[in-house]
Amino acid sequence: MTGLARGIAVKAMPARGILRWGRRWPVLLRFSMLSIAAVAVLFPFLWIFLASLKPPVELSRPSLFGFEPTGVNWSEVWLNSPFARYFLNSVMVGSLTVMVSLIVGAPAAYAFSRFRVGGTGLRFLILAAQMMPPALFIIPFFLMAYYVGLLDTIWAVAIAHLTFIAPLVTWFLIGFFEDVPRDLEEQAMVDGCTRWQAFVRVVLPAARPGLAAAGLFAFIMSWNEMFYALMLAGGHSKTLPVAIAGYWTFRGVDMGKMSVAITSAVIPVMIASFFVQRYLVRGLGGGALKG
Amino acid sequence: MGHRDRRLGRRMVLPLILLLLAVQGYPMAFAVYISAHDYRLTALSEVRWVGLEQYRGLLDNPSYWTAMKNTLVFVFGAVSLELLLGFLVAYLLWRPVPAQNLFRAILLTPMFVTPIAVGLMFRFLLNNQLGIIPVWLRSLGLEIDWFGPDLALFSLILIDVWQWTPLMVLLLLAGLEALPVEPFEAARVDGASELQIIRHLTIPLIRPVMLAAILIRMLDAFRVFEYVYAITRGGPGERTETILFHIYRVGFLYFRLGEAAAMAITLALVIFVLVVLLFRSLRRQEALT
Repeated sequence: MTGLARGIAVKAMPARGILRWGRRWPVLLRFSMLSIAAVAVLFPFLWIFLASLKPPVELSRPSLFGFEPTGVNWSEVWLNSPFARYFLNSVMVGSLTVMVSLIVGAPAAYAFSRFRVGGTGLRFLILAAQMMPPALFIIPFFLMAYYVGLLDTIWAVAIAHLTFIAPLVTWFLIGFFEDVPRDLEEQAMVDGCTRWQAFVRVVLPAARPGLAAAGLFAFIMSWNEMFYALMLAGGHSKTLPVAIAGYWTFRGVDMGKMSVAITSAVIPVMIASFFVQRYLVRGLGGGALKG
Repeated sequence: MGHRDRRLGRRMVLPLILLLLAVQGYPMAFAVYISAHDYRLTALSEVRWVGLEQYRGLLDNPSYWTAMKNTLVFVFGAVSLELLLGFLVAYLLWRPVPAQNLFRAILLTPMFVTPIAVGLMFRFLLNNQLGIIPVWLRSLGLEIDWFGPDLALFSLILIDVWQWTPLMVLLLLAGLEALPVEPFEAARVDGASELQIIRHLTIPLIRPVMLAAILIRMLDAFRVFEYVYAITRGGPGERTETILFHIYRVGFLYFRLGEAAAMAITLALVIFVLVVLLFRSLRRQEALT
């Protein structure tokens, strides 16, 4: 999830043939158990959304409903605080990181999937690189950012995010390029393209869903990351997770505003996640796990 | 593969290698350098070579070992619960059930939420004055201090389970869906019971996927930070001080960067071993397919 919850994506598959023998647990029992799980998952979201609509006096009363909903927290956070700016910071850090990672990662992943450049060693390196703990890099990054005057800039955060996003994107793409049939580029080369042209004009367009899924997932990872962002940019270059944490201070918590901030940060990734889910297993396994 | 292909391949990989050298190789070397120096944020002009002294210091540093122990308890507790629960949910989702795709989409959502938000949501859901869950429990006659000395680490584990069981479901469901149908039909014809099939067929068949899923979750759980930061800040006492939080405390609250870097390097070594295991398990599966 940080870290990885890094990526193994599973493609949705039709339940072929399973119908015939899968009748043992009564459907009703399975349906009820899944419903309980769904309630456990959805309840915190519902609660935080309702809290964002509560008038400040109601917030200290632990009840779910029975209050007059108000938009005052929403307008306070979005219009009368720098929250919109933090939101924009997150968008910029994520876009920057993902763009660089795709530009650098796509050719590398292709070279790996077609030519096995660097062999097993390189593949291991890519996996290890995305798994290294942020604690290892944060101290050097902090000092380097301090010496070159990049502390509290989105650049520092974006560079730090590249440490795990670039290998993550490459790892994801290896699997997706392996799924692009080789005939496609061979045909293009028969038609007079060089290998590089075939890659740019034929393979990349054919792998578009995979590129989009890898990019979106990487964006979510950067969007959600707090450790680097907290140490490197705690001031006006805050990203959303740092801003959210900022509503709980030693002076107490501003529940209503914090709920608005959380809801605002969660909704975009929820929408993005529905596009990513079916590719996630294939990507996380670097092509080794069936999606 | 021709000579020209190989040359093109090397050129295509080169930018990534250079990027990784810049953002990983150099900082890693710098971290090793820092760990061999008395490097204090409050005295950056008086950096002093101390060799392995700070590593030796870790050996009899009780806070370091407490943080390591807490992290191990957290990792093993969270990952085993996630495995059990994740297998159950994946199993329920495996065969057709009404609203299957809706369930799948809903049940996967927690893993996409920023962990700091998850930590804060549960901090206040479980809070004794503000939270609604303690109110409901009280009406059942239960008084539970979720973040008291006895339960705090366990509560953090439960929060991790809420957020990351979905990843386990995702991976195990993919594993289940890739299984061949024939052995199950044969077992059924032979009159095997559901539990026998699970124990002797399903679990052995998806064991490789399970192993990969466990390792991926362990790697992630080792860097737990946000829940601790959002809820307990290591307390009560040192009950929930995890290793990443401890490194943050020593480096950024006590300004002892050298000591923090030494701790980070020992953590990286543990992680490295797990990555080797994960890589081997993924390669083995690739060989199978």
